[in-house]
Amino acid sequence: MMELISEGAEARIYATSLLGKDAVVKRRLPKRYRVRQLDYALRSQRTKTEARALALASLAGVKAPVLLLVDDFDIYMSRVRGTNLNRMLVHGVSEGKLKKILRDIGAYAGLMHAADMAHGDYTPANIMVSGSTAYVIDFGLAVMTSAVEEKALDLLLMKRSLPGRAFSSFMKGYRKAYSESKKTESRLNSIERRGRYQTRTLTIG
Amino acid sequence: MPVLGIESSAHTLGIGIVDNGRILANEKRMYRIGNKGILPMRAAALHTKNLHSALKRALDKAGLGIRDIEAIGYTKGPGLGPCLEVGMLAARSIALRYGMQIFHVNHAVAHIEITSHMCRACDPLVLYVSGGNSQILAIADEPYKHYHVYGETFDIGVGNMLDSFARDAGFKRAWGSEVASAAVGGSYISMPYTVKGMDFAFAGLMTNAVKMLKSHALKDVAYSLQETAFSMLCEATERALLLTGKRELIVCGGVAQSARLQEMLGLVSAGHRARFGVAPNEFNSDNGAMVALVAEKLLRAGARHRLEDCSVNQKYRVDKVALEWK
Repeated sequence: MMELISEGAEARIYATSLLGKDAVVKRRLPKRYRVRQLDYALRSQRTKTEARALALASLAGVKAPVLLLVDDFDIYMSRVRGTNLNRMLVHGVSEGKLKKILRDIGAYAGLMHAADMAHGDYTPANIMVSGSTAYVIDFGLAVMTSAVEEKALDLLLMKRSLPGRAFSSFMKGYRKAYSESKKTESRLNSIERRGRYQTRTLTIG
Repeated sequence: MPVLGIESSAHTLGIGIVDNGRILANEKRMYRIGNKGILPMRAAALHTKNLHSALKRALDKAGLGIRDIEAIGYTKGPGLGPCLEVGMLAARSIALRYGMQIFHVNHAVAHIEITSHMCRACDPLVLYVSGGNSQILAIADEPYKHYHVYGETFDIGVGNMLDSFARDAGFKRAWGSEVASAAVGGSYISMPYTVKGMDFAFAGLMTNAVKMLKSHALKDVAYSLQETAFSMLCEATERALLLTGKRELIVCGGVAQSARLQEMLGLVSAGHRARFGVAPNEFNSDNGAMVALVAEKLLRAGARHRLEDCSVNQKYRVDKVALEWK
Protein backbone atom coordinates (compact mmCIF):
# COMPACT_ATOMS: atom_id res chain seq x y z
CA MET A 1 0.00 0.00 0.00
CA MET A 2 1.25 3.46 -0.87
CA GLU A 3 0.84 6.25 1.67
CA LEU A 4 -1.90 8.73 0.74
CA ILE A 5 -0.48 12.27 1.03
CA SER A 6 -3.40 14.30 -0.18
CA GLU A 7 -6.76 13.98 -1.84
CA GLY A 8 -8.23 16.48 -4.27
CA ALA A 9 -11.49 16.47 -6.16
CA GLU A 10 -9.85 14.91 -9.20
CA ALA A 11 -6.91 12.91 -7.98
CA ARG A 12 -5.11 11.34 -5.07
CA ILE A 13 -1.42 11.82 -4.38
CA TYR A 14 0.52 8.91 -2.92
CA ALA A 15 4.10 8.73 -1.65
CA THR A 16 6.17 6.15 -3.45
CA SER A 17 9.69 5.63 -4.66
CA LEU A 18 11.03 5.21 -8.15
CA LEU A 19 14.55 3.96 -8.92
CA GLY A 20 15.41 4.42 -5.26
CA LYS A 21 14.33 8.09 -5.24
CA ASP A 22 11.64 9.74 -3.14
CA ALA A 23 8.67 10.24 -5.45
CA VAL A 24 4.95 10.89 -5.51
CA VAL A 25 2.34 9.59 -7.89
CA LYS A 26 -0.70 11.63 -8.82
CA ARG A 27 -3.48 9.25 -9.76
CA ARG A 28 -6.68 10.42 -11.44
CA LEU A 29 -9.45 8.20 -10.17
CA PRO A 30 -12.58 7.24 -12.08
CA LYS A 31 -15.76 9.13 -11.23
CA ARG A 32 -18.83 6.95 -11.03
CA TYR A 33 -21.22 9.81 -11.69
CA ARG A 34 -20.17 10.39 -15.30
CA VAL A 35 -20.45 8.08 -18.32
CA ARG A 36 -17.43 5.87 -18.97
CA GLN A 37 -16.35 7.46 -22.27
CA LEU A 38 -16.39 10.98 -20.82
CA ASP A 39 -14.65 9.84 -17.65
CA TYR A 40 -11.90 8.12 -19.60
CA ALA A 41 -11.40 11.04 -22.00
CA LEU A 42 -11.21 13.66 -19.25
CA ARG A 43 -8.79 11.68 -17.14
CA SER A 44 -6.41 10.76 -19.92
CA GLN A 45 -6.45 14.22 -21.55
CA ARG A 46 -5.82 15.95 -18.26
CA THR A 47 -3.02 13.57 -17.31
CA LYS A 48 -1.28 14.28 -20.62
CA THR A 49 -1.79 18.05 -20.42
CA GLU A 50 -0.54 18.19 -16.86
CA ALA A 51 2.59 16.15 -17.63
CA ARG A 52 3.32 18.37 -20.62
CA ALA A 53 2.84 21.55 -18.56
CA LEU A 54 5.07 20.25 -15.80
CA ALA A 55 7.84 19.46 -18.29
CA LEU A 56 7.44 22.80 -20.09
CA ALA A 57 7.59 24.77 -16.83
CA SER A 58 10.80 23.02 -15.81
CA LEU A 59 12.33 23.75 -19.22
CA ALA A 60 11.34 27.41 -18.84
CA GLY A 61 13.31 27.60 -15.59
CA VAL A 62 10.51 27.24 -13.04
CA LYS A 63 11.38 25.19 -9.96
CA ALA A 64 8.85 22.39 -9.90
CA PRO A 65 8.78 18.64 -9.20
CA VAL A 66 10.78 16.63 -11.74
CA LEU A 67 8.63 14.63 -14.11
CA LEU A 68 9.63 10.97 -13.91
CA LEU A 69 7.02 8.81 -15.62
CA VAL A 70 3.59 9.17 -17.18
CA ASP A 71 1.06 6.36 -17.48
CA ASP A 72 -2.60 6.47 -18.66
CA PHE A 73 -3.91 8.26 -15.55
CA ASP A 74 -0.76 8.44 -13.41
CA ILE A 75 2.03 10.98 -13.17
CA TYR A 76 5.15 10.05 -11.21
CA MET A 77 7.27 13.00 -10.10
CA SER A 78 9.98 13.79 -7.58
CA ARG A 79 8.76 14.58 -4.10
CA VAL A 80 9.21 18.15 -2.85
CA ARG A 81 9.34 18.18 0.93
CA GLY A 82 8.60 21.50 2.56
CA THR A 83 5.88 23.80 3.80
CA ASN A 84 2.97 25.08 1.82
CA LEU A 85 3.16 28.87 1.36
CA ASN A 86 -0.42 29.23 2.52
CA ARG A 87 0.48 27.73 5.87
CA MET A 88 3.56 29.96 6.08
CA LEU A 89 1.44 33.06 5.52
CA VAL A 90 -0.94 32.03 8.30
CA HIS A 91 1.74 31.04 10.80
CA GLY A 92 4.09 33.91 10.03
CA VAL A 93 7.45 34.07 8.31
CA SER A 94 10.33 36.55 8.43
CA GLU A 95 9.83 39.52 6.14
CA GLY A 96 13.14 39.10 4.30
CA LYS A 97 12.50 35.45 3.53
CA LEU A 98 8.93 36.11 2.44
CA LYS A 99 10.04 38.89 0.09
CA LYS A 100 12.49 36.59 -1.65
CA ILE A 101 9.87 33.84 -1.99
CA LEU A 102 7.32 36.29 -3.40
CA ARG A 103 9.78 37.66 -5.96
CA ASP A 104 10.71 34.11 -6.95
CA ILE A 105 7.15 32.97 -7.47
CA GLY A 106 6.45 36.19 -9.36
CA ALA A 107 9.40 35.34 -11.60
CA TYR A 108 8.09 31.78 -12.06
CA ALA A 109 4.76 33.17 -13.26
CA GLY A 110 6.70 35.40 -15.69
CA LEU A 111 8.75 32.47 -16.98
CA MET A 112 5.63 30.34 -17.53
CA HIS A 113 3.85 33.16 -19.31
CA ALA A 114 6.89 33.84 -21.50
CA ALA A 115 6.77 30.15 -22.46
CA ASP A 116 3.09 30.60 -23.40
CA MET A 117 1.54 28.63 -20.59
CA ALA A 118 -0.64 29.55 -17.63
CA HIS A 119 -0.72 27.58 -14.39
CA GLY A 120 -4.48 27.84 -14.00
CA ASP A 121 -4.55 27.62 -10.19
CA TYR A 122 -1.72 29.90 -9.13
CA THR A 123 -2.38 30.38 -5.41
CA PRO A 124 -0.17 30.17 -2.29
CA ALA A 125 -1.68 26.72 -1.68
CA ASN A 126 0.18 25.50 -4.74
CA ILE A 127 3.58 26.82 -3.71
CA MET A 128 5.84 24.60 -1.60
CA VAL A 129 8.74 26.17 0.22
CA SER A 130 11.74 24.03 1.01
CA GLY A 131 14.47 25.90 2.89
CA SER A 132 14.36 29.25 1.14
CA THR A 133 13.49 27.80 -2.27
CA ALA A 134 9.95 27.98 -3.62
CA TYR A 135 8.55 25.22 -5.83
CA VAL A 136 5.42 25.39 -7.95
CA ILE A 137 3.20 22.30 -7.67
CA ASP A 138 -0.07 21.00 -9.12
CA PHE A 139 -0.21 21.76 -12.83
CA GLY A 140 -3.58 20.02 -13.03
CA LEU A 141 -5.39 23.08 -14.42
CA ALA A 142 -2.50 24.39 -16.54
CA VAL A 143 -3.13 25.46 -20.13
CA MET A 144 -0.70 25.86 -22.98
CA THR A 145 -1.80 29.14 -24.49
CA SER A 146 -0.66 32.55 -25.62
CA ALA A 147 -3.98 34.08 -24.46
CA VAL A 148 -3.44 37.15 -22.27
CA GLU A 149 -6.69 36.40 -20.43
CA GLU A 150 -5.45 33.06 -19.06
CA LYS A 151 -2.17 34.61 -17.99
CA ALA A 152 -3.94 37.51 -16.29
CA LEU A 153 -6.10 35.02 -14.37
CA ASP A 154 -2.94 33.59 -12.80
CA LEU A 155 -2.14 37.08 -11.51
CA LEU A 156 -5.71 37.64 -10.36
CA LEU A 157 -5.82 34.43 -8.31
CA MET A 158 -2.53 35.26 -6.63
CA LYS A 159 -3.59 38.84 -6.00
CA ARG A 160 -6.79 37.70 -4.30
CA SER A 161 -4.92 35.31 -2.04
CA LEU A 162 -2.09 37.62 -0.94
CA PRO A 163 -2.02 40.73 1.26
CA GLY A 164 -1.59 43.93 -0.82
CA ARG A 165 2.09 44.56 -0.10
CA ALA A 166 2.98 40.93 -0.71
CA PHE A 167 1.43 41.16 -4.16
CA SER A 168 3.63 44.12 -5.08
CA SER A 169 6.76 42.07 -4.24
CA PHE A 170 5.31 39.31 -6.38
CA MET A 171 4.82 41.72 -9.29
CA LYS A 172 8.43 42.95 -9.06
CA GLY A 173 9.65 39.43 -9.76
CA TYR A 174 7.04 39.02 -12.49
CA ARG A 175 7.98 42.18 -14.39
CA LYS A 176 11.68 41.24 -14.40
CA ALA A 177 11.05 37.78 -15.79
CA TYR A 178 8.49 38.63 -18.47
CA SER A 179 9.07 41.27 -21.13
CA GLU A 180 5.34 41.54 -21.97
CA SER A 181 4.22 41.94 -18.37
CA LYS A 182 2.46 45.24 -19.20
CA LYS A 183 -0.11 43.42 -21.33
CA THR A 184 -1.08 40.96 -18.61
CA GLU A 185 -1.16 43.71 -16.00
CA SER A 186 -3.55 45.83 -17.99
CA ARG A 187 -5.77 42.79 -18.65
CA LEU A 188 -5.75 42.10 -14.91
CA ASN A 189 -7.10 45.60 -14.34
CA SER A 190 -9.86 45.13 -16.88
CA ILE A 191 -10.88 41.74 -15.42
CA GLU A 192 -11.15 43.32 -11.99
CA ARG A 193 -13.51 45.94 -13.37
CA ARG A 194 -15.95 43.33 -14.72
CA GLY A 195 -18.97 43.84 -12.53
CA ARG A 196 -20.50 40.43 -12.12
CA TYR A 197 -17.69 38.97 -10.07
CA GLN A 198 -16.85 41.95 -7.88
CA THR A 199 -18.65 40.47 -4.92
CA ARG A 200 -16.66 37.25 -5.11
CA THR A 201 -13.72 38.32 -3.00
CA LEU A 202 -13.91 35.84 -0.14
CA THR A 203 -10.40 34.41 0.26
CA ILE A 204 -10.39 30.70 0.61
CA GLY A 205 -8.02 27.76 1.06
CA MET B 1 -50.62 33.29 12.22
CA PRO B 2 -49.94 32.18 8.64
CA VAL B 3 -47.81 34.04 6.11
CA LEU B 4 -48.56 34.36 2.39
CA GLY B 5 -45.97 34.33 -0.41
CA ILE B 6 -46.25 35.45 -4.03
CA GLU B 7 -43.80 34.23 -6.66
CA SER B 8 -43.97 35.62 -10.20
CA SER B 9 -40.38 35.92 -11.43
CA ALA B 10 -40.80 33.97 -14.67
CA HIS B 11 -43.36 31.58 -16.18
CA THR B 12 -45.04 30.57 -12.93
CA LEU B 13 -47.39 32.52 -10.72
CA GLY B 14 -47.23 30.86 -7.34
CA ILE B 15 -49.23 31.58 -4.20
CA GLY B 16 -48.11 29.81 -1.06
CA ILE B 17 -49.29 29.86 2.54
CA VAL B 18 -47.04 28.76 5.37
CA ASP B 19 -47.72 28.50 9.09
CA ASN B 20 -44.83 27.71 11.43
CA GLY B 21 -42.89 26.10 8.60
CA ARG B 22 -45.89 23.95 7.63
CA ILE B 23 -47.08 24.41 4.06
CA LEU B 24 -50.84 24.94 3.97
CA ALA B 25 -51.17 25.79 0.27
CA ASN B 26 -48.97 25.97 -2.80
CA GLU B 27 -51.03 27.10 -5.81
CA LYS B 28 -49.50 27.52 -9.27
CA ARG B 29 -50.62 28.97 -12.59
CA MET B 30 -48.19 28.45 -15.43
CA TYR B 31 -47.59 30.32 -18.66
CA ARG B 32 -47.35 27.86 -21.56
CA ILE B 33 -43.92 28.22 -23.08
CA GLY B 34 -44.51 26.26 -26.30
CA ASN B 35 -41.61 26.65 -28.70
CA LYS B 36 -41.07 30.38 -28.22
CA GLY B 37 -39.66 30.68 -24.72
CA ILE B 38 -41.19 33.19 -22.33
CA LEU B 39 -42.57 36.39 -23.80
CA PRO B 40 -42.32 38.54 -20.65
CA MET B 41 -45.26 40.89 -21.34
CA ARG B 42 -47.59 38.00 -22.15
CA ALA B 43 -46.49 36.05 -19.11
CA ALA B 44 -47.04 39.14 -16.94
CA ALA B 45 -50.51 39.66 -18.43
CA LEU B 46 -51.40 36.05 -17.69
CA HIS B 47 -50.14 36.33 -14.09
CA THR B 48 -52.30 39.44 -13.61
CA LYS B 49 -55.32 37.60 -14.97
CA ASN B 50 -54.71 34.53 -12.77
CA LEU B 51 -53.82 36.35 -9.61
CA HIS B 52 -57.24 36.59 -8.01
CA SER B 53 -58.31 33.01 -8.68
CA ALA B 54 -54.96 31.57 -7.55
CA LEU B 55 -55.06 33.63 -4.36
CA LYS B 56 -58.63 32.60 -3.62
CA ARG B 57 -57.88 28.93 -4.27
CA ALA B 58 -54.80 29.02 -2.01
CA LEU B 59 -56.84 30.56 0.82
CA ASP B 60 -59.63 28.01 0.31
CA LYS B 61 -57.17 25.12 0.40
CA ALA B 62 -55.67 26.43 3.61
CA GLY B 63 -59.16 27.00 5.01
CA LEU B 64 -58.37 30.65 5.67
CA GLY B 65 -59.65 34.10 4.84
CA ILE B 66 -57.36 36.94 3.83
CA ARG B 67 -57.75 38.53 7.27
CA ASP B 68 -56.18 35.42 8.86
CA ILE B 69 -52.90 36.22 7.10
CA GLU B 70 -50.31 37.94 9.30
CA ALA B 71 -47.74 39.05 6.72
CA ILE B 72 -46.95 38.83 3.03
CA GLY B 73 -43.78 38.17 1.06
CA TYR B 74 -43.06 38.51 -2.66
CA THR B 75 -40.16 37.84 -5.02
CA LYS B 76 -38.11 40.99 -5.59
CA GLY B 77 -35.77 39.34 -8.12
CA PRO B 78 -33.85 38.11 -9.99
CA GLY B 79 -36.32 37.53 -12.80
CA LEU B 80 -38.21 39.09 -15.69
CA GLY B 81 -39.18 42.71 -14.97
CA PRO B 82 -42.81 42.70 -16.12
CA CYS B 83 -43.49 39.40 -14.33
CA LEU B 84 -41.85 40.51 -11.09
CA GLU B 85 -43.91 43.69 -11.10
CA VAL B 86 -47.18 41.76 -10.99
CA GLY B 87 -46.19 40.01 -7.76
CA MET B 88 -44.74 43.16 -6.25
CA LEU B 89 -47.86 45.25 -6.96
CA ALA B 90 -50.17 42.52 -5.69
CA ALA B 91 -48.18 42.16 -2.47
CA ARG B 92 -48.06 45.92 -1.87
CA SER B 93 -51.80 46.28 -2.52
CA ILE B 94 -52.73 43.44 -0.17
CA ALA B 95 -50.33 44.67 2.52
CA LEU B 96 -51.74 48.21 2.37
CA ARG B 97 -55.38 47.15 2.16
CA TYR B 98 -55.19 44.75 5.13
CA GLY B 99 -52.43 46.45 7.13
CA MET B 100 -49.98 43.55 6.90
CA GLN B 101 -46.23 43.59 7.13
CA ILE B 102 -44.55 43.12 3.76
CA PHE B 103 -41.22 41.40 3.00
CA HIS B 104 -39.21 41.32 -0.21
CA VAL B 105 -37.54 38.00 -0.90
CA ASN B 106 -34.66 36.98 -3.16
CA HIS B 107 -35.73 34.20 -5.53
CA ALA B 108 -32.52 32.15 -5.16
CA VAL B 109 -32.56 32.43 -1.38
CA ALA B 110 -36.16 31.19 -1.39
CA HIS B 111 -35.23 28.11 -3.46
CA ILE B 112 -32.33 27.31 -1.15
CA GLU B 113 -34.30 27.86 2.05
CA ILE B 114 -37.25 25.65 1.14
CA THR B 115 -34.93 22.81 0.14
CA SER B 116 -32.86 23.20 3.33
CA HIS B 117 -36.11 23.23 5.29
CA MET B 118 -37.48 20.07 3.67
CA CYS B 119 -34.17 18.19 3.85
CA ARG B 120 -33.49 19.41 7.39
CA ALA B 121 -30.07 20.66 6.28
CA CYS B 122 -28.30 23.08 8.62
CA ASP B 123 -25.22 24.25 6.75
CA PRO B 124 -25.22 22.69 3.30
CA LEU B 125 -23.27 23.19 0.12
CA VAL B 126 -25.92 24.24 -2.41
CA LEU B 127 -26.14 23.64 -6.14
CA TYR B 128 -28.80 26.02 -7.45
CA VAL B 129 -29.73 25.21 -11.03
CA SER B 130 -32.56 26.86 -12.92
CA GLY B 131 -33.25 28.57 -16.22
CA GLY B 132 -31.41 31.79 -15.55
CA ASN B 133 -29.07 30.68 -12.78
CA SER B 134 -26.47 28.04 -12.09
CA GLN B 135 -24.50 28.59 -8.92
CA ILE B 136 -22.65 26.76 -6.17
CA LEU B 137 -23.19 28.42 -2.80
CA ALA B 138 -22.72 28.08 0.93
CA ILE B 139 -23.29 30.32 3.92
CA ALA B 140 -20.45 32.73 4.77
CA ASP B 141 -20.29 34.95 7.87
CA GLU B 142 -18.33 37.94 6.56
CA PRO B 143 -19.07 40.81 6.13
CA TYR B 144 -22.60 39.67 7.07
CA LYS B 145 -24.33 36.29 6.95
CA HIS B 146 -25.06 35.56 3.31
CA TYR B 147 -24.87 32.88 0.65
CA HIS B 148 -21.42 33.18 -0.82
CA VAL B 149 -21.10 32.18 -4.48
CA TYR B 150 -18.23 29.70 -4.78
CA GLY B 151 -18.80 28.99 -8.44
CA GLU B 152 -21.23 29.92 -11.17
CA THR B 153 -21.87 29.98 -14.88
CA PHE B 154 -19.80 32.38 -16.94
CA ASP B 155 -22.62 32.78 -19.46
CA ILE B 156 -26.08 31.16 -19.46
CA GLY B 157 -27.87 29.02 -16.88
CA VAL B 158 -28.06 25.28 -17.49
CA GLY B 159 -31.86 25.36 -17.74
CA ASN B 160 -31.76 28.13 -20.30
CA MET B 161 -29.26 26.05 -22.27
CA LEU B 162 -31.48 22.96 -22.30
CA ASP B 163 -34.55 25.05 -23.20
CA SER B 164 -32.72 26.82 -26.04
CA PHE B 165 -31.51 23.51 -27.40
CA ALA B 166 -35.05 22.15 -27.25
CA ARG B 167 -36.30 25.17 -29.23
CA ASP B 168 -33.60 24.81 -31.88
CA ALA B 169 -34.28 21.07 -32.12
CA GLY B 170 -37.90 21.99 -32.95
CA PHE B 171 -39.58 20.48 -29.87
CA LYS B 172 -43.23 21.43 -29.53
CA ARG B 173 -42.76 21.88 -25.81
CA ALA B 174 -39.30 23.33 -25.38
CA TRP B 175 -38.43 22.19 -21.86
CA GLY B 176 -35.40 20.59 -20.23
CA SER B 177 -37.49 17.55 -19.31
CA GLU B 178 -38.29 17.02 -23.00
CA VAL B 179 -34.54 16.90 -23.68
CA ALA B 180 -34.32 14.20 -21.00
CA SER B 181 -37.07 12.18 -22.72
CA ALA B 182 -35.36 12.57 -26.10
CA ALA B 183 -32.08 11.35 -24.56
CA VAL B 184 -33.42 7.91 -23.61
CA GLY B 185 -31.40 5.16 -25.31
CA GLY B 186 -28.84 7.60 -26.73
CA SER B 187 -25.13 6.95 -26.86
CA TYR B 188 -22.32 9.30 -25.96
CA ILE B 189 -20.61 11.62 -28.45
CA SER B 190 -17.75 13.85 -27.34
CA MET B 191 -18.76 17.49 -26.67
CA PRO B 192 -17.00 20.66 -25.45
CA TYR B 193 -16.47 20.51 -21.70
CA THR B 194 -15.75 23.78 -19.86
CA VAL B 195 -15.01 23.81 -16.14
CA LYS B 196 -12.62 26.31 -14.59
CA GLY B 197 -12.11 25.57 -10.95
CA MET B 198 -15.64 25.89 -9.57
CA ASP B 199 -17.01 27.91 -12.49
CA PHE B 200 -18.40 26.61 -15.76
CA ALA B 201 -19.77 27.79 -19.11
CA PHE B 202 -22.64 26.41 -21.21
CA ALA B 203 -23.06 28.65 -24.27
CA GLY B 204 -20.37 26.90 -26.37
CA LEU B 205 -21.73 23.49 -25.46
CA MET B 206 -25.20 24.51 -26.63
CA THR B 207 -24.02 25.92 -29.96
CA ASN B 208 -22.04 22.76 -30.58
CA ALA B 209 -25.01 20.50 -29.76
CA VAL B 210 -27.29 22.42 -32.13
CA LYS B 211 -24.72 22.04 -34.94
CA MET B 212 -24.41 18.32 -34.22
CA LEU B 213 -28.13 17.86 -34.90
CA LYS B 214 -27.29 18.03 -38.62
CA SER B 215 -24.94 15.07 -38.52
CA HIS B 216 -26.11 12.94 -35.58
CA ALA B 217 -29.27 11.31 -34.27
CA LEU B 218 -31.31 13.52 -31.96
CA LYS B 219 -31.26 10.97 -29.13
CA ASP B 220 -27.45 10.81 -29.19
CA VAL B 221 -27.08 14.60 -29.19
CA ALA B 222 -29.67 15.07 -26.42
CA TYR B 223 -28.07 12.33 -24.32
CA SER B 224 -24.54 13.68 -24.74
CA LEU B 225 -25.59 17.27 -24.10
CA GLN B 226 -27.29 16.33 -20.85
CA GLU B 227 -24.49 14.05 -19.68
CA THR B 228 -21.81 16.65 -20.46
CA ALA B 229 -23.63 19.56 -18.82
CA PHE B 230 -24.50 17.61 -15.67
CA SER B 231 -20.97 16.18 -15.42
CA MET B 232 -19.60 19.73 -15.51
CA LEU B 233 -21.92 20.74 -12.67
CA CYS B 234 -20.95 17.66 -10.68
CA GLU B 235 -17.22 18.24 -11.10
CA ALA B 236 -17.45 21.85 -9.92
CA THR B 237 -19.73 20.82 -7.04
CA GLU B 238 -17.36 18.07 -5.96
CA ARG B 239 -14.47 20.54 -5.90
CA ALA B 240 -16.51 22.94 -3.76
CA LEU B 241 -17.50 20.09 -1.44
CA LEU B 242 -13.84 19.30 -0.79
CA LEU B 243 -12.87 22.95 -0.44
CA THR B 244 -15.61 23.86 2.01
CA GLY B 245 -15.62 20.52 3.86
CA LYS B 246 -19.44 20.68 4.13
CA ARG B 247 -21.20 17.49 5.25
CA GLU B 248 -24.47 18.20 3.43
CA LEU B 249 -25.16 18.77 -0.26
CA ILE B 250 -28.52 19.97 -1.57
CA VAL B 251 -29.71 20.74 -5.08
CA CYS B 252 -32.55 23.17 -5.80
CA GLY B 253 -34.13 25.15 -8.65
CA GLY B 254 -36.05 23.97 -11.71
CA VAL B 255 -33.30 21.74 -13.10
CA ALA B 256 -33.08 19.94 -9.73
CA GLN B 257 -36.17 18.05 -10.93
CA SER B 258 -33.95 16.02 -13.25
CA ALA B 259 -33.75 12.43 -12.01
CA ARG B 260 -30.40 11.97 -13.74
CA LEU B 261 -28.86 15.04 -12.09
CA GLN B 262 -30.16 13.86 -8.71
CA GLU B 263 -28.61 10.44 -9.27
CA MET B 264 -25.24 11.93 -10.25
CA LEU B 265 -25.11 14.31 -7.28
CA GLY B 266 -26.04 11.43 -4.98
CA LEU B 267 -22.92 9.63 -6.21
CA VAL B 268 -20.78 12.76 -5.75
CA SER B 269 -21.84 13.19 -2.13
CA ALA B 270 -21.58 9.47 -1.33
CA GLY B 271 -17.93 9.64 -2.43
CA HIS B 272 -17.26 12.19 0.30
CA ARG B 273 -19.63 10.87 2.94
CA ALA B 274 -21.82 13.94 2.69
CA ARG B 275 -25.60 13.72 3.06
CA PHE B 276 -27.49 14.49 -0.13
CA GLY B 277 -30.88 16.16 -0.18
CA VAL B 278 -33.43 17.32 -2.70
CA ALA B 279 -36.99 18.60 -2.19
CA PRO B 280 -40.08 17.08 -3.88
CA ASN B 281 -40.40 18.45 -7.43
CA GLU B 282 -43.35 20.67 -6.53
CA PHE B 283 -40.85 22.80 -4.58
CA ASN B 284 -38.00 22.65 -7.09
CA SER B 285 -39.98 24.41 -9.78
CA ASP B 286 -40.92 27.99 -8.94
CA ASN B 287 -43.54 28.20 -6.20
CA GLY B 288 -45.13 30.59 -3.72
CA ALA B 289 -44.52 28.41 -0.63
CA MET B 290 -40.77 29.09 -0.72
CA VAL B 291 -41.41 32.85 -0.70
CA ALA B 292 -43.90 32.51 2.16
CA LEU B 293 -41.38 30.41 4.09
CA VAL B 294 -38.65 33.07 3.88
CA ALA B 295 -41.14 35.84 4.68
CA GLU B 296 -42.18 33.91 7.78
CA LYS B 297 -38.54 33.50 8.86
CA LEU B 298 -38.04 37.25 8.43
CA LEU B 299 -41.18 38.03 10.40
CA ARG B 300 -40.27 35.70 13.30
CA ALA B 301 -36.73 37.12 13.39
CA GLY B 302 -38.20 40.58 13.89
CA ALA B 303 -37.08 41.97 10.54
CA ARG B 304 -38.91 44.96 9.08
CA HIS B 305 -38.91 45.88 5.38
CA ARG B 306 -40.00 49.38 4.48
CA LEU B 307 -42.71 49.69 1.85
CA GLU B 308 -40.55 52.06 -0.22
CA ASP B 309 -37.84 49.36 -0.45
CA CYS B 310 -40.38 46.93 -1.84
CA SER B 311 -39.45 47.31 -5.49
CA VAL B 312 -38.26 44.81 -8.09
CA ASN B 313 -34.68 44.13 -9.12
CA GLN B 314 -34.19 42.01 -12.23
CA LYS B 315 -30.54 41.35 -11.43
CA TYR B 316 -30.85 40.95 -7.67
CA ARG B 317 -27.67 39.08 -6.69
CA VAL B 318 -28.05 36.31 -4.13
CA ASP B 319 -24.80 37.29 -2.38
CA LYS B 320 -26.18 40.79 -1.66
CA VAL B 321 -28.85 39.42 0.66
CA ALA B 322 -28.21 39.47 4.41
CA LEU B 323 -29.75 36.35 5.98
CA GLU B 324 -31.47 38.25 8.77
CA TRP B 325 -32.98 35.14 10.36
CA LYS B 326 -29.80 33.08 10.66
